[in-house]
Amino acid sequence: MIELHRVSKVYAVGPVKVPALSDVSFRVDKGEFVVLAGPSGAGKTTLLRLLYRAELPSEGEVEVLGADVSALGRAEVAALRRSIGVVFQDAKLLPVRTVYENVAFVLRVLGTPRRDITARVFDALRGVGLSSRAQAYPAQLSQGEAQRAALARAIVRRPPLLLADEPTGSLDDAMAAEILEVLRDIWAGGTTVVLATHQGRVAAALRRRTIALEAGRVVKDEG
Amino acid sequence: MLGFLVGEALRDLRRAGRVAVSAILLITLSLAALGGFWLVSANLDRAVGRWRDRVRIIVYLRREPAEADLPALLERVHGVPGVASAVYVSRTDALHALKQVLGKDAGVVESLPTNPLPASIEVTPTAAGATPDGARELVTRLGALPEVEEVAGGVDWVERLAQWQRLLATIGLGVGAVLALAAILSVTTATTLVVHARRRETEIMRLVGAPELTIRLPLLLQGMLQGLAGAALALAVLTLIHSLVAPRLEPLVNLTLGLPRIAFLTPLALAGLGLGGALLGALGGWLARGGREA
Repeated sequence: MIELHRVSKVYAVGPVKVPALSDVSFRVDKGEFVVLAGPSGAGKTTLLRLLYRAELPSEGEVEVLGADVSALGRAEVAALRRSIGVVFQDAKLLPVRTVYENVAFVLRVLGTPRRDITARVFDALRGVGLSSRAQAYPAQLSQGEAQRAALARAIVRRPPLLLADEPTGSLDDAMAAEILEVLRDIWAGGTTVVLATHQGRVAAALRRRTIALEAGRVVKDEG
Repeated sequence: MLGFLVGEALRDLRRAGRVAVSAILLITLSLAALGGFWLVSANLDRAVGRWRDRVRIIVYLRREPAEADLPALLERVHGVPGVASAVYVSRTDALHALKQVLGKDAGVVESLPTNPLPASIEVTPTAAGATPDGARELVTRLGALPEVEEVAGGVDWVERLAQWQRLLATIGLGVGAVLALAAILSVTTATTLVVHARRRETEIMRLVGAPELTIRLPLLLQGMLQGLAGAALALAVLTLIHSLVAPRLEPLVNLTLGLPRIAFLTPLALAGLGLGGALLGALGGWLARGGREA
């Protein structure tokens, strides 16, 4: 499903080269739940961005869902992203649209027939326990609810791979536990999940395979 | 999908708010100016066409020819290059025509001791003879005939009218082009605001793998909608002005230019203005489309 081989990523800030990832290699199989752990600046977000081709590796190979991301053209990148759900610490909900509209938006831009949209949106909202808040606007949601709405938006296309970048980063423990529970449910439904977190307690609570990053290098891969 | 794209475009238009309104008004102004000049120019063109068809050259004769000499004279006039037809007008016919023109004042003519009008031949030139140069040559040739006292008429004033019509069309295009440029920049500004306002939507669309066309089409569509709204308003303004002004000007135009009515723009011209508006808006939207992102 995912394979990284000796991947490095260096950002050029003017004349200065800033390494974000160095010689990273690992493999994630279909149906796995993998935690990318590490402190802020360890390279977790960069790694996830490589997976959905928002960045290109400076060196090495990144293969996602059978595709070498460096070799993809614009249309192929779009096709790859249609198979990947992504959530962020900031839920990135559209503020002038309701929860329902936020989730439906994704289906509409991808040309899903209108007759299928309602059922699929409510399926996704039920999956994250948010169907009763379908008509609420993002400003009316708690942070936990907003994150669940973002998860619903990510899974409404039923992607085989879900990338979650610090989805519990701004939540209190109770809300974080709810989100982790939702992620577990999504994974149990057959979706491969890669979760990046700087919170050691999250990684510990999940008790799944954990790849620890420090200063852009893999320092531990266990579980 | 089309419904979604149009819905997004309308949502974007609302976001652009007053800037979009000013863009629409500028498009209205530019198309109304263009349409106004077009309308005047088209009517002048009709007048020129009518006058070209009616060009006559009057050949005044030194003395009224004897009836027996008339066929030979007409044949010689007919033989002059550039003459399509020639009709003899006797002194009596000329006086009769004058009385008709004078109408209720025809009594003035009765008081004259003798008929002062000369006999003449009314010449209709061929197409070649109706051009300014052709008419000048024709006048010279006809004036060289020994029976001819004077030759009157020509097409110079018709050509001057045609020149005015062309000048007006050029000015119209120039004014329209300047206003159109302002309109395009205004749509670009409105669309730039929209690009900024919808950056989060764009981010989400890219993240979920939406086709590039789906991302960019709403921007183009909202520009086109601004253009179409501007064109519709411009046509409404032109229709209103034409319906109010034309009936008041028609008697004067009929008297001076011989046009019984001021025609409105043809359906083709109206379609052209509508299409022009849509293109102006689309161009503005396209110019503000923003850079591509990863």
